[in-house]
Amino acid sequence: MLKIIIEREIKDIVSSTKFAVTFAVCVILILASFYVGAAHYNLNKQQYDASVAENLRQMEGLTEWYSVRQHKVFMPPQPLAALVTGISNDIGQTADMLAGSQVITEGSRYNEDPIFAVFRFLDLEFIFQIVLSLFAILLGYDAISGEKERGTLRLTFASNLPRRTYILGKLIGSFAALSSSLIVALGLGCLFLPMMGVPMSGDEWIRLLIIAGSGLLYFGVFLTGSLFVSAMTQRSSSSFLLLLVAWILAVMIIPRASVLTAARAVEVPSVDHIANQRSSLASQLWAESRDAMTNFKPDIDDDDPEAMMKIGSMFSQFMDSLGTIRNDQMSEFSDRINEERFNAQQIQQNLSFNLARISPSTSMKLATSNLAGTSLELTKHFRDETRAYHKVVGDFIREKTGMNPHGGMIIKINDGSEEPEPIDPSELPSFEYKPIRTATAINAALPDIGLLALFNFLFFTGAVISFGRYDVR
Amino acid sequence: MINEISKQPSPMLQTNNLTKRYEDGVLALDSLTLEVNPGELFVMLGGNGAGKTTTINLFLNFIEPTSGEASINGIVTHKEPLEAKKHVAFVSENVMLYQNFTAIQNLDFFSKIGGHSDLSRDDYRDVLNRVGLAEDAHNKRLKGFSKGMRQKCGIAIAILKDAPAILLDEPTAGLDPKAGYEFIRLLDSLRSENKAILMSTHDIFRAKEIADTIAIMDSGRMIMKEPAANLADQNLEELYLQYMAGHDTKAAG
Amino acid sequence: MLSTLIQKELKGIILSPKFTATFAICSILILLSVFTGIREYEAVSDQYDSATSLVEQELQDESNWGHMSTRSIRKPDPMQIFVSGLTYDIGRWSHVESTRPIKLKHSPYSDDPIFAMFRHIDFVFIFQFVLSLFAILFTFDAINGERESGMLKLVFSNSIPRAKYLIAKIIGSWLGLILPISIPILLSILLVIIMGVPMNAIHWATLATLIALSVLMFTFFISLGVAISAWTKRSSVSFLLSLVIWVMFVLIIPRASVAAAEQMVPVPRISEIESIREAYANDRWKTFYDISEERWMTSSNMNEEESEEERDRAMWDNMVLEDSLRRIVEIEIEEYEVRLLEELRQRKAGQERLAFGFSRISPSSAYQLAASGLAGTDIEMKDRFEESMSQFRSSFVDFTEKKQAESGNTGGIMISISTETGIDIKDGSDNSALDLTDIPKYEQPRRSYAQAFNSTIIDFGLLAFATLLMFVASFIGFLRYDVR
Ligand SMILES: Nc1ncnc2c1ncn2[C@@H]1O[C@H](COP(=O)(O)OP(=O)(O)OP(=O)(O)O)[C@@H](O)[C@H]1O
Ligand SMILES: [Mg+2]
Repeated sequence: MLKIIIEREIKDIVSSTKFAVTFAVCVILILASFYVGAAHYNLNKQQYDASVAENLRQMEGLTEWYSVRQHKVFMPPQPLAALVTGISNDIGQTADMLAGSQVITEGSRYNEDPIFAVFRFLDLEFIFQIVLSLFAILLGYDAISGEKERGTLRLTFASNLPRRTYILGKLIGSFAALSSSLIVALGLGCLFLPMMGVPMSGDEWIRLLIIAGSGLLYFGVFLTGSLFVSAMTQRSSSSFLLLLVAWILAVMIIPRASVLTAARAVEVPSVDHIANQRSSLASQLWAESRDAMTNFKPDIDDDDPEAMMKIGSMFSQFMDSLGTIRNDQMSEFSDRINEERFNAQQIQQNLSFNLARISPSTSMKLATSNLAGTSLELTKHFRDETRAYHKVVGDFIREKTGMNPHGGMIIKINDGSEEPEPIDPSELPSFEYKPIRTATAINAALPDIGLLALFNFLFFTGAVISFGRYDVR
Repeated sequence: MINEISKQPSPMLQTNNLTKRYEDGVLALDSLTLEVNPGELFVMLGGNGAGKTTTINLFLNFIEPTSGEASINGIVTHKEPLEAKKHVAFVSENVMLYQNFTAIQNLDFFSKIGGHSDLSRDDYRDVLNRVGLAEDAHNKRLKGFSKGMRQKCGIAIAILKDAPAILLDEPTAGLDPKAGYEFIRLLDSLRSENKAILMSTHDIFRAKEIADTIAIMDSGRMIMKEPAANLADQNLEELYLQYMAGHDTKAAG
Repeated sequence: MLSTLIQKELKGIILSPKFTATFAICSILILLSVFTGIREYEAVSDQYDSATSLVEQELQDESNWGHMSTRSIRKPDPMQIFVSGLTYDIGRWSHVESTRPIKLKHSPYSDDPIFAMFRHIDFVFIFQFVLSLFAILFTFDAINGERESGMLKLVFSNSIPRAKYLIAKIIGSWLGLILPISIPILLSILLVIIMGVPMNAIHWATLATLIALSVLMFTFFISLGVAISAWTKRSSVSFLLSLVIWVMFVLIIPRASVAAAEQMVPVPRISEIESIREAYANDRWKTFYDISEERWMTSSNMNEEESEEERDRAMWDNMVLEDSLRRIVEIEIEEYEVRLLEELRQRKAGQERLAFGFSRISPSSAYQLAASGLAGTDIEMKDRFEESMSQFRSSFVDFTEKKQAESGNTGGIMISISTETGIDIKDGSDNSALDLTDIPKYEQPRRSYAQAFNSTIIDFGLLAFATLLMFVASFIGFLRYDVR
């Protein structure tokens, strides 16, 4: 019996023009988002390679490592980030390794190319969030009330069919029909990636698979939700209205409004405040260094013919040690205030995201961005990566020049005896950015995936229960 | 009959070789000629798809005739539709009306666009009572109305327009027996107000009871037209079936 | 007659349960958007105030005119409450110093990415995404719905001209939808006043224009819905069609056109440009140092037997020469950079023209572009600020250099190494507070109302044209509509 209902439901859906139109649109958009993502990735990769090459080229011809004034590293483009942009374009993607003792990530994509900030990206996550949910509603809103209006419900229940079987068949049938078409669309979209030469590792395929899975779960939430509402309302026009209002709230309003209200409730020290504290400490330390410098008196025998050279090197050493002390103090302080800010941000984030999770749209967004490695976590991750590399660069420069790269003072005495040789920029250890680990990403996404599954279950049960009491006349 | 003609010199509703062939080639109406005089109640019978609704649609210029013409009060409808429609009221087959309006609000709207902006609530009440809609339903929204109640409102709208010609497309569908009876009385009183009434129906018995002229349509042709008086002593149902069968064999042969 | 028809249409809308639900939602959303907008504005204003006082403090703490630097900060504008546009995407401040060009950095979103996750709600967002949807939902069955319920037959059994009926229909639904949303709009204006947002006359005028623009956009979607329903027989078809068109207009076309422009006009990243500049600068400095080294060498070698006094003079001359040469190199590098950036800007402008040109197929993006242009949160915003900051930079640098020359202080640290006294370090500062009375202050870029309005004329026109087109389409569709 159940099988008959499921079959009928699938046939009914697949043969309807509504299905044909909405899925044509859905497929086109999904394919478009994959295509745009792949093209965007390729372009970004080119730009990234060009930036890296130019960065090394500008060092060419210099004869001393300490005259290299800047060494920038960039966040390398990731294929998944092109599909789920998350916040990757909002945060600083560049860091200068020689700008100071602190790594500051700057230059968000949206700030540098505001054209993308105007309408933002047509990424897969966006298609999921808006289009899939809208189409789930469109296909589900009149599942029951529509049958009632057409009079078919009355006819159906003129036979000895249990209600539970009917609603179960309807739920399963519609989900099977719609999700299998979606899977086909997603599968076709995935083909674009290898076709357009986007390098995807095995891990990334797994992550993409889970992203697609979360998308389907999200679709399921809206589909079961629509059936639930349809089983509660007598007329399809009111069920559509109800669902549309719910859709607007869930997709557009709740996530934004809850983050805006909850985040303002938690006091987080502003970036300016931190910069202020740091700069006042820096100037204080610098003043101390200056005092120490003016008191520097080398203990040297005046008659020593090498005195000049010795004084020079002693002074260099002295400056170097001063610099190291300053650096250590600075970084200790920065670590502390950054830690404080980080903790406050964590509280802020938990509060506002938990509030926003009333809407399944939030869960979907958090799950997919975690999986793609473009969640808020990316800010910290990129900073950590650049910091680690900063140390590597520091060590390298120290080894090459014997000096602290951030000492701020270099004395070079050239007696003209040796012809300086140009440096070889390729000696510089390159920046090996490692994206957020797959296991970490999946772990971070799991709670939200679970939440989506829970929503599915709740609406499913809701639909079954409320249909039990539905007035089929 | 002679007597009738002298009484009513010019027909109020008239078709002349009216033919309608739909875009898909269906010949829905084939050279129909009929006339309805003031004070005459003309009933069209005929099976589903016989062309009754098509005739009425042509009178209202909802569709253009393929050839021939329909006129109201001598005004050819597809030439001067707006002028023609001033003289006609219409009760449609299955009207939903404005679901969010009350009966009175619906009446108010339609009487206004029908050219009567001077009517008061009492007038609406009167006419609703006249068609037999229960008092307590007057100020209820149409959403909860039964088919018959909606039909009564539709009829009330037509009465309010107070036009010399009335077109009714299966007005009795969905009316309960009492309402059906009252409706017949209503038609009678409208006729006595000298209105020309063209009605399509499937209700043979009521038709016989009230009609002045009875016509049977089939496949777009009028296969019979008789003054009701001539059929008074016949079993109309039998006659109807007989005609239909005869026509069928003719068509088949 | 017309008024009867309009009244019916109005009542039809206002009495429907659909209306009550949407009206409630719209009111809440409009008020919510303005309320959160004001709060965000207050938050960023506070941030701005503390940042500016910090900058002033920093200047006061300076003890030396040499290589003095400061920061210029973008001031929040009340219009961002209604059209946040790019305010949160673009850097809040820039360094102002002689060695580096102006570059806005630290966008609010990059500072607090939590807000970037879901972004902001503003007035324009509500209109663009929510009200446009509602407009379409109220009108998609305006004509064919009436046909389905048999109403058209009934109406046109009376002597009513079709054009009149359609005009009434459009005016009625327009009034029915506009009047109710004018209530929350008025309330939100009240909110702006009550919460003490500092709005000047230009702001009010801009806000009024913005509201007019929004109403125009809303009208477009109403007429679009009517047109669709006048060209389709069944409301289920027009329902689907209008939703698909809405998705395309509002969600897809804008984004797709930017994606297309990105591929068609590739623009190098700013980091690449900066590295190119750096390479050029390194190159220039290297030749400069090589030459100067040579000069020092020759001058010190050749004057071996001359007196110390003369050697000192030669050295002094050399130093003066070198200073002027250094200046030339600096200017050359700056010019090179200006050229590079200009080229980049040209390319970007080309990309933008293409992207926005495409996107204007959708009246919804024309609306967004016009609204942000009005509010000054458009894509030009960054250039506008950077330009005014660059002007400030040159006056600031000129001023400090002049002061520096007057004070006769070298600035920086002087280290002298001699075999007799060892190392002697002077840090050059005279440790007394500087006289900052005449120091140039950064002026926020100003836009007159006319400038703001002019930037939106194209989009205004487009929107009006599209609306007109839809009206005409509705008329043509309806005049030949089969009312059965
Ligand atoms: N829009 C149309 N296009 C094509 N053919 C049509 C159209 N409307 C009606 N017809 C055809 O015209 C013929 C007459 O239809 P009409 O609606 O006039 O019949 P009717 O007598 O009113 O029937 P019923 O008693 O069922 O109301 C039928 O064969 C029908 O199929
Ligand atoms: Mg009929």
